[in-house]
Amino acid sequence: MKKALIKDSIKEIKNTYKRFLSLLLMAFLGVGFFAGIRATSPDMVNTIDTYYKQQKMYDIQVLSTLGLTEDDINSIKQIDGVDIVEGTYETDGIVELENKEIITKVLCVDELNQPLLVEGELPQNSNECVVEENFLTQNNKAIGDTITVEIENTQNDEGEAIEYLYNKELKIVGNVKSPLYISNERGSSSLGDGKIDYFIYISKDNIQAKDTYTNIYVTLKNAEKYETASSKYEDCVEEVKNKIEDIKEERETARHDELVQKATDKLNDAEAEFNEKKQEADEQIAEAQKKIDDGKAEIESSEAEIKENEEKADSEFANAEKQIASAKQEIQANEKTLQTKEQEANSKISELETQKQSLAGQRDSLNSQLTTLQNTYNSIVSRLQNEELDDQTRKELEQQKQQLESQIQTLNTTIASLTSGITQIEQGINQANTEIAQAKNQLQTAKNQLSSQERKLNQQKSSTYAQLEDAKEQVEQAKVELQQGEQELETQKQDVEQQLQDAEKELIDARQEISEIENPEWYILDRYANSGYASFTQDKESVYNIGQVFPIVFFLVAVLISLTSMTRMVEEQRTQIGTLKALGYNKIQIAGKYMLYSSLACIIGGLLGMAVGFILIPSLIWHMYEVMYQVPEFIVSFNWEYGGAGLILISVCIIGATVYSCIKELRQQPATLMRPKAPKIGKRVLLERVNFIWKRLSFSQKVTIRNIFRYKKRFMMTIIGIFGCTSLILAGFGLKDSIGVLMPNQYEKIFKYDMQINLKEGLNETQKNELINELNQKDEIEETIETTMLTRTAINGENEEDVQIIVPKDQNELEKMISLIDINTEEKIELQKGQIVITDKLAELIGAKQGDTITLKNGEDEKQIVISNITENYVYHYAYMTSETYEELYGKPYETNAILTRNVDMDEEQEENLATEIMNQNEVSSITRNSDVEEVMNTTMESLNYVVVVLIVSAGLLAFAVLYNLSNVNISERIRELATIKVLGFYDKEVYTYVTRETILLTLIGIALGLVGGYFLNYFIIGTCEIEMLRFSKIIHPMSYLYAILITVVFTVIVNIFTYFALKKIDMIESLKSVE
Amino acid sequence: MSYIEFKNVCKQYTMGEITINALNNTNFEIEKGELVVIVGPSGAGKTTALNILGGMDSATSGKVIVDGKDVTRLKNKQLIQYRREDIGFVFQFYNLVQNLTAKENVELATQICKDSLDVEEVLEKVGLKDRMKNFPSQLSGGEQQRVAIARAIAKNPKLLLCDEPTGALDYKTGKQILKLLQDTSRKENMTVIIITHNSAIAPMAHKVIHFKNGTVQKVEYNEKPLPIEEIEW
Repeated sequence: MKKALIKDSIKEIKNTYKRFLSLLLMAFLGVGFFAGIRATSPDMVNTIDTYYKQQKMYDIQVLSTLGLTEDDINSIKQIDGVDIVEGTYETDGIVELENKEIITKVLCVDELNQPLLVEGELPQNSNECVVEENFLTQNNKAIGDTITVEIENTQNDEGEAIEYLYNKELKIVGNVKSPLYISNERGSSSLGDGKIDYFIYISKDNIQAKDTYTNIYVTLKNAEKYETASSKYEDCVEEVKNKIEDIKEERETARHDELVQKATDKLNDAEAEFNEKKQEADEQIAEAQKKIDDGKAEIESSEAEIKENEEKADSEFANAEKQIASAKQEIQANEKTLQTKEQEANSKISELETQKQSLAGQRDSLNSQLTTLQNTYNSIVSRLQNEELDDQTRKELEQQKQQLESQIQTLNTTIASLTSGITQIEQGINQANTEIAQAKNQLQTAKNQLSSQERKLNQQKSSTYAQLEDAKEQVEQAKVELQQGEQELETQKQDVEQQLQDAEKELIDARQEISEIENPEWYILDRYANSGYASFTQDKESVYNIGQVFPIVFFLVAVLISLTSMTRMVEEQRTQIGTLKALGYNKIQIAGKYMLYSSLACIIGGLLGMAVGFILIPSLIWHMYEVMYQVPEFIVSFNWEYGGAGLILISVCIIGATVYSCIKELRQQPATLMRPKAPKIGKRVLLERVNFIWKRLSFSQKVTIRNIFRYKKRFMMTIIGIFGCTSLILAGFGLKDSIGVLMPNQYEKIFKYDMQINLKEGLNETQKNELINELNQKDEIEETIETTMLTRTAINGENEEDVQIIVPKDQNELEKMISLIDINTEEKIELQKGQIVITDKLAELIGAKQGDTITLKNGEDEKQIVISNITENYVYHYAYMTSETYEELYGKPYETNAILTRNVDMDEEQEENLATEIMNQNEVSSITRNSDVEEVMNTTMESLNYVVVVLIVSAGLLAFAVLYNLSNVNISERIRELATIKVLGFYDKEVYTYVTRETILLTLIGIALGLVGGYFLNYFIIGTCEIEMLRFSKIIHPMSYLYAILITVVFTVIVNIFTYFALKKIDMIESLKSVE
Repeated sequence: MSYIEFKNVCKQYTMGEITINALNNTNFEIEKGELVVIVGPSGAGKTTALNILGGMDSATSGKVIVDGKDVTRLKNKQLIQYRREDIGFVFQFYNLVQNLTAKENVELATQICKDSLDVEEVLEKVGLKDRMKNFPSQLSGGEQQRVAIARAIAKNPKLLLCDEPTGALDYKTGKQILKLLQDTSRKENMTVIIITHNSAIAPMAHKVIHFKNGTVQKVEYNEKPLPIEEIEW
């Protein structure tokens, strides 16, 4: 290109900067939107992928109904392609706070699925834990606080209850995010009100129940290389999943055998113990029996002895008594003899007494003689003693004395003989007396002896008999005791028997239990089983789909705008083109200027668009999803692939439009080009031929109509622009409407019940009735109905979908809780015998219609049933049949497993209390509250407001870009005409209406078409965003139409205000001066 | 006092740092019903004077009085009203609206005026009775200019201002147009001002104003203006 031309081009840009900017803006918007929206989905994936890799998120998860063992881990480790295999413990716990119970998922900090630390530190010790941020903020807790986690005891393989944790009191040491919980969904629990509120992480050291793992998490060697959710990643996961699937059965059996083995061992032990005990008991009983028998024998021998002794005593005593009696007779005889002897003795004694007394008398006289002699003697002696006594006297005296002495002596001798006579007599008396006394004594002694003998005998007798009596009594007592013993033994025997029987029964039960140990089932899940990931990928997919369509609108507009702009520019420069051509420049050189012009606009605008689009749009879109996900930081990246594609596309559009406009002019001869271009030829429009209408139109109306048909390009552009604007807005509001009515429709119109109370298995009728009565007595509950719910896979041909079947006990009661409305007739549906009613989305997904036969599959079990009606429904898939149909179909009696209740109006807290109250009933296994589901959904819905805002903003940009450009082109192209009417004396307002009347009419057409287009766009967006579980009603509220119209009108008015001032500024003289 | 008075009118354009005096103390007078021809070389200020007179431009200083009304003092809206009711313009390049038929082009003007003339009559007067329903592109240059004149006179203006009305036309056609203007002036007693650089047609006017360097160089009076048919050039 020649230097002069480059210079000219640059000058051109300077001079027509407005046009350049408008091209640039189109490139900016086009590339920005295209690249931005397209990059959002990959950015979302990248964000989650980075997060997952950083936290070592699992690729495959294995769950089992009966726990997982070290052996399971080892077998998975053997599989090709696995990297880390890790067993972990997960359970639900209850945290008691001041006034409420919180249900938490309790996870372990481990190598995989690491929590991302936001603040504080990870739990190191067994008494520490980390929680999620919401836990802290919503419950007014802080790091450093202590919480108590209650977890139900678990059973080990031996069936013993084990405390789950060592420490229940846990200190919060940090707050974290978890890759396992990227959405707000925390899952359900069998505890409390059935809904998990938060997760907490604890140290593995705190787990006491380490017998089996609850989960095995696996990462794959190759998965690291690929981005999550990419097809390579999924293939890689699928491959290993299949391999794990291959060992599944073997491991299930192994686990089953292990459990059976353990239980059998235990049973054998118990049996051995039982036998031992039984033997012991038998021995004990035998011993006791022997004792009793011995006792009996003893008693018998004692009795015989007693009898013998009695007889012996009887005869002995009789003998003795006889002897005593004879002795008594002898004594009596002796007594008589003694009495006569005594009498004889007594007479002899008295004789002797008399002799004695005479003798005594003699003696006494002698004694008195003696005494006189003595006295004389004594007086002689005493005189003799007197010394003064003469000898004569003395001799006399002496003689006297001697005489006396001989007299005394003689006397004494006489006395002595007398005395000895007396003594003899006395001796005789004494002898007699003694003899008598002796005899008496002898007799008395004999008597005494006898009586003592008698007494002794009597004593002996009584004692002997007493002894015998005692012995008898003892025997009697022994007998009683023995009887008691016997009875006791009997009861003991019975007791033991009972105990043994019980023990035996237990053993039998245990044996039964062993035979009933189910085969465990393994669930091999990938990341899609994680609800957060599943919804994330779904959302990412929706964003991707939207990214496929939205930019098209902008590209279309970009083409139109650049086409008009460049055509205008080329036309304006006809003369110059002609001149250059005349000067000998070739077509390419001439066109080069315009190509350069538009290329520069494309490149600069495109690069700016990329710069802004790659950051702003993904962030903006992510912002809508941010409330729903807890992901560390959204990663926006510069995606050359999309950026380049966008730039190329927009360049093709804009440069293509430029080339198109150039070619038209370049074909002409220089001479023609240098002459002013013949203005567009006025033409009659078709309408003019319809005279009666045309005649009725006012002058200005005619002008307007003719103008509209004159500028077809502009006509198209306006209509498309406005169409796009209105339809985007309508789609935005429509989206809100469609999704907004979803919840009320489902939970007010279709489901009138408030709670679904799931019953535990194996309840009997009485228990159920009791519960129902109790429920019915609660003030908060208005009505209840009994149903049975079962989950089946509905199959029609190739298609299958899970469905929840609701079977009311009494079909007439169903309508109190659930409205069944036929999708076609909009009439109430009666359940037909032997047929099923399915919900509309299910019918759509499996491609079934009224009258078709579908298969209900559950494992091996497959049943065929005819669809009687298709019913309106919005959330999840359901099917309904009568209890008779159920019984007929499954060949077993109907059994209630869920109760639906309709409650009085109450606030959330009241409802929560009610739910907790009901949960406390033993019969209840879980509760689903519709208000909960509704609330979760509503939060999601709120983010839709952002979608609406984004749509309105893009619509606004579109409207401005189109209308502003249009108005500029319109003014510059028709400037002479406008100057002319100004000269003619049109007021500013009249000039404005003269120009904008067409715009307004086109806008109206655009709006009208936009409303139709919006309807379909809404349809498309909903189709794109729609989740299989939900049926979005394709409803657009009348107000939304109004909003769409009003907002478009507002945008148009704003642009028209600009136009008004632009028109006012038109310089008549300059414009009319000469041909350009 | 004359019907139209130009008193000490100056007009300056500022182009960047340069100030151009388009009109420099211009004075002239025109009486009602006069046919005036303004002649002078390019850039002498003829068109500027006409634009100011026609209310399309404003004077920097001085007074322009038309039928007792001081045009220089009019506000924007009054100026538009002045253009709409008092002025008829005819341009060199006709400036017809391409998308409107001849009749419609005239109607475009008449629909905004109070005392407008009958459109068909006017078109008949300019000799286009049969071409009323034609679009400008279907008409010859002369015919187009006739439509332009019809559009101007249909408003029944006080002044008919013609800027080089024959500039784009051949001799014969130009003559016809000039005749039409002369006839109009004569029959309707309309004040007609024609700008031309062809001083040969000057004899047809009551008054000839010569412009040079932004001011009136001289004013000639023809006691007896010649009918256009008698003028040859």
